[in-house]
Amino acid sequence: MPRIPADQYVSQVRKPDDIDQFWEDVLAATARIPLAPESRYDPLRSSADVEVHEIFFTSLDDVRIAGWYALPRERSGPLPGLLQVPGYNMEPPVPKPWARKGYAALSVAPRGKLRSNRQFNPGYPGLLTYGIVDRNTYSYRGFYMDACRGVDFLIGRDEVDAHRIGVTGHSQGGGLTVSTAALRPEIKAAAAGAPYLCGYIDAIELTDAYPYQEINDYLRQNPHRRQQVTDTLAYFDGINLAHRINCPIIVSVGLQDSTCPPETGYAMFNAIATPHKQIYGYDGHGHDANNHHHAAIIDQFMAQHLQP
Amino acid sequence: MTTPSSAMPSDFNAYWQQTLQELARLPAAPEVAELPLRSTDFATAYGVRLTSIGPYRIFGYLSIPKDADADADTDAAGAGPFPARYYLPRYGSVADLVPQGQANGQRRQHVTFAVCVRGQRLADQPYAAAFPGLLTDGIDDPQSYIYRGILADCRRGLEYLLTRPEVDPTRIAAIGPDLALATAALSPEITHAVCTPAIFCNTPELAARTTAYPLEEINDYLRQHPERQDAAHRTLSYFDLRWFAPQVAASTLLIAGADGAPLDAAALEPLAQSIPGGCELHKSEHSGFKDGVHSEQWLTRQFGLPEPSLPPHWQQ
Repeated sequence: MPRIPADQYVSQVRKPDDIDQFWEDVLAATARIPLAPESRYDPLRSSADVEVHEIFFTSLDDVRIAGWYALPRERSGPLPGLLQVPGYNMEPPVPKPWARKGYAALSVAPRGKLRSNRQFNPGYPGLLTYGIVDRNTYSYRGFYMDACRGVDFLIGRDEVDAHRIGVTGHSQGGGLTVSTAALRPEIKAAAAGAPYLCGYIDAIELTDAYPYQEINDYLRQNPHRRQQVTDTLAYFDGINLAHRINCPIIVSVGLQDSTCPPETGYAMFNAIATPHKQIYGYDGHGHDANNHHHAAIIDQFMAQHLQP
Repeated sequence: MTTPSSAMPSDFNAYWQQTLQELARLPAAPEVAELPLRSTDFATAYGVRLTSIGPYRIFGYLSIPKDADADADTDAAGAGPFPARYYLPRYGSVADLVPQGQANGQRRQHVTFAVCVRGQRLADQPYAAAFPGLLTDGIDDPQSYIYRGILADCRRGLEYLLTRPEVDPTRIAAIGPDLALATAALSPEITHAVCTPAIFCNTPELAARTTAYPLEEINDYLRQHPERQDAAHRTLSYFDLRWFAPQVAASTLLIAGADGAPLDAAALEPLAQSIPGGCELHKSEHSGFKDGVHSEQWLTRQFGLPEPSLPPHWQQ
């Protein structure tokens, strides 16, 4: 049977009535923890045009989070800040390319990533189902906050203009772009590529590929917990957070994406509140979401809204 | 022009022979434990621990199809023999049971084995690799370079795969980045290879043309230690796919970058020509979907299977 076109797909995801209160409580709990930022210049990764710092800050549950912070050496005034959020099984990149474009760029390593895994390390596979039976223990509760705390780090830097902060990422980074833009009104521009963490319970039926397959693995072993899992994931689903996004946002999807099914990207996009949104659906592309071409669109979008 | 730093070392073969001999002296001492969480109704998953040179303990994810004729209520692995996919890791800390985005259903008709080499998660004690950092670890000396051990790990994983009675020895594919072709060169038992070179092909020249990681690690390192350039380049020459290629007996699919990329089809043509097992050079279409379907169809033909294992969104 032919598949329903991705943009016409009807998601099974249901929004909890108290989702906004849940996240306000989590954000408040996070805000009560001192950020305790630390920055160490890294001469090995720095170059003639870019200075690189290894940075750390404290996030929810007092977990210490690492990141790479890159700045153009030549700067005359405050810089726009750009938060780069990582994919699921990739290492957070050193964001030198963004620094070369004139941004103060922070590439954060949320809990469980290398250098942020001393206190929390569920592994890969593993992260996606860790604590999944309870929204108060689910891995992404802290993981989302780690990305949000990256905004606090940028705001606290003297060289950053707190009114020009953007967020971008691909795959899990696309999902974190959505959650961070939804939870932090300081974000002024967001570019999400092939967003993960949107339509979790749709995705586990739409694709048999990992990482979403981790949830099917879990449910095969724990079929009696399906409702608990569904209930938990609803609080973390980008589709259910999208109504909080008020900044300009662009989203890209590959119409043949087997990792993050395009149906889920469209469902999330349709739920975004702001009219300042645009989606790019690329036929003939998988999880790359035509990034080779789309990267220039992201550059232009960020330059328009953040003015480096 | 071939510069001294990019020339094939005169002792290239001796270096690798010595490495393999060192490996052969160490028993693999496999420990195999079922992973019920990753097992399905059509395949059983195992975690495998092996000893490689050092000595160092590495890890691998093994998946064995359940025999279609077997009692569905049992967890017994099928008798096979099945074609095997040996997955070599990409550059990063995570090795997946099945590469992200590919059909988990491939485990119905293939034995799959994904090795986690030293430094990667599940093989990170006592050595936890840094990313960035791995690519230049010990690079001043071919004997200390981390990739010597990593390639030995890749060879050890293949040796373990060969011990499995469920594997059809006439259909074993090494799949992955540079490590796939290098492992095929060190392992005549590998019958097929699907390789996307990214790092180890005239690496000094590649690194000089980019600021993108992971190759930027080499630029970072040489910026800090310019006096070590000759030594680092000499070390890298022992890992150059151009010198491995003439030893690859496997039928090979080489995925090249699109036109203009550092490793585009023109750059890889000499490499492809030097593979005696035969090589199809495929130019990337900048699409994980199109390149992925092409690779699956190629491997399906090579293995003589009726249908490729494609995830739903890749099926037309």
